[in-house]
Amino acid sequence: MTDAEAKRRSEELVRPEKPFNWFRWVVSGTLVLLFLATTGTVDVQLGQITALPERTAQYLGLMYLPPDLSEIPRATRAMIESLGMAWIGTMIGAMLSFPLAFLAATNLFSKPVVFATRQVLNFFRAVPEIVFLIALLPVTGLTPVTVALALGISSIGTLGKLSAEVIEGIDHGPVEAASAAGGGRLQRIRWSVIPQVIPEIVALWLYRFEINIRNSAVAGAVGAGGIGTLLVRQIGQLRDWAAAGTALAVMVIITLIVDTISGRVRRRIIRGPQRAVDIGADPGQAPEGTVDGDDDGPAGEPRAVMPV
Amino acid sequence: MSSAAASTASAGPRSQRPRKPPPPAFAVWGTLGFIVVTVLFALDWEYGIGFSIASIIEGLGRQNPILEGARTLDWATLRSPTVIQGFVETFQMATIATILGGIVALPLALFNSLTGAPNKVVYVLVKNFNSFIRAIPDLIYAVFFVAAIGRGALPGVLALFFLSVAVIAKLTSDIVDGIDQGPIESARASGASHLQMLKTAVLPQILPGYTSFALYTFEINLRGSAVLGFVGAGGIGQVFSNYYQRGWYDRLAAVVIGFFVVVFVVDRISIAVRKHLL
Repeated sequence: MTDAEAKRRSEELVRPEKPFNWFRWVVSGTLVLLFLATTGTVDVQLGQITALPERTAQYLGLMYLPPDLSEIPRATRAMIESLGMAWIGTMIGAMLSFPLAFLAATNLFSKPVVFATRQVLNFFRAVPEIVFLIALLPVTGLTPVTVALALGISSIGTLGKLSAEVIEGIDHGPVEAASAAGGGRLQRIRWSVIPQVIPEIVALWLYRFEINIRNSAVAGAVGAGGIGTLLVRQIGQLRDWAAAGTALAVMVIITLIVDTISGRVRRRIIRGPQRAVDIGADPGQAPEGTVDGDDDGPAGEPRAVMPV
Repeated sequence: MSSAAASTASAGPRSQRPRKPPPPAFAVWGTLGFIVVTVLFALDWEYGIGFSIASIIEGLGRQNPILEGARTLDWATLRSPTVIQGFVETFQMATIATILGGIVALPLALFNSLTGAPNKVVYVLVKNFNSFIRAIPDLIYAVFFVAAIGRGALPGVLALFFLSVAVIAKLTSDIVDGIDQGPIESARASGASHLQMLKTAVLPQILPGYTSFALYTFEINLRGSAVLGFVGAGGIGQVFSNYYQRGWYDRLAAVVIGFFVVVFVVDRISIAVRKHLL
């Protein structure tokens, strides 16, 4: 069959008409209008935009040509402080959110209790870290502890919500067994629910730790320590670009290393020792969990590695 | 297990209970590791942050002028032009950053998966690029761009743009990994090029997720804009920062509550829309 003949034949077939998708056009139109309206009114000087590529290249040059290796020890120390804030903050958030997660699970408590708890969790999610950080400054001062507390409190909302979703996904067999054996509500939770959910919840904590490493940079806004403060001072105040370049590189490298380790541990916790076998980790389910899993950073990941 | 339980029950109380299996080594070492890391980071030494509950309790007893300000809220502040301009700018920054970030994130998300990348080289490059972008916090992008091009909304937009790209690319690529392979095979079998395959077989599958992640990122951007003003990157954070530095805690509290209400409302709307999308 020649090409021409094939073409003639295919044209003879009546193709079904493509349905007109109103929704898509409305959404696209709105987005274009929104974009034009915001870019048209936002207070930005044209000179800033035109200077952007040149200045970025210029300062990146100052940062890394040549790199200032003598800054590595100080930057590493600051980064370890950031990791400390993030870890302690995550542990505080974990401890505070753990009981709330049970109260927010529809399969364990009555509707009014769940509703009230969820509103509390929503509150902690809607308030940005910087607000908690400033409110806590008079308590523990400009110290890493304050940052850890702020990170911990603002982790309550997300951790509580995601943990509650894990609890809602449990197998009810063991719960029935516990009640058949005469267990009260607390005993059912202790012996039937917690053993089922603890691996996934611990994995959520680790995931939150990864997010909190990034969020700990908020300390830089007020000068409460860590790599965020170091970078804000070096770039914003001292303009010590070479030192800042080193600090930035140290931050990125350590963040990526910790991410990798934490990610491995999470996968090991969820999937068990047989790493070749992908037990039920149906990534196709990922979007459902993630969308609801509102988060201050990339959510989704826990769901993607977590069979629900 | 239930049959074992039943047999012990019927055999009377003197029968032997099945012995509890020892906990798996991973759980033991994992718990130990958790505790050691926590203690090391909490202690007051060179590499710890010096966490002490006693000092927190002591601090709680101290006067808190900032929370004090929340008692004498200055609602009139919310009507001042500076504050209104701050809110408007926050919305502008978040909108521009989300739209641009969403556009840039789409190819990055597709190529971050072995299904969507044209070849392995692109896959590895894009994956590393995405991790790199994600490893830098928005505040650091902001302070860099403020130093490079001056204060204002533009460095804020750029910081939120990178944040949006990181979040949307990460979340979307997770769905790309899990899509149904059927349409991809049929597209390939009918002779589609890689781009045609992405357009007809992959995009329709990830579109609802992608859209809802973009909406979710808009919320993140709103919240994120609260801190960027502290380094001079515009938005409502600029107002927070000014009031905080001048010690106007009554006004600060009012603006924080106003901001909270705005974020909460946007959050509810966005969650409702996202539920509808999927």
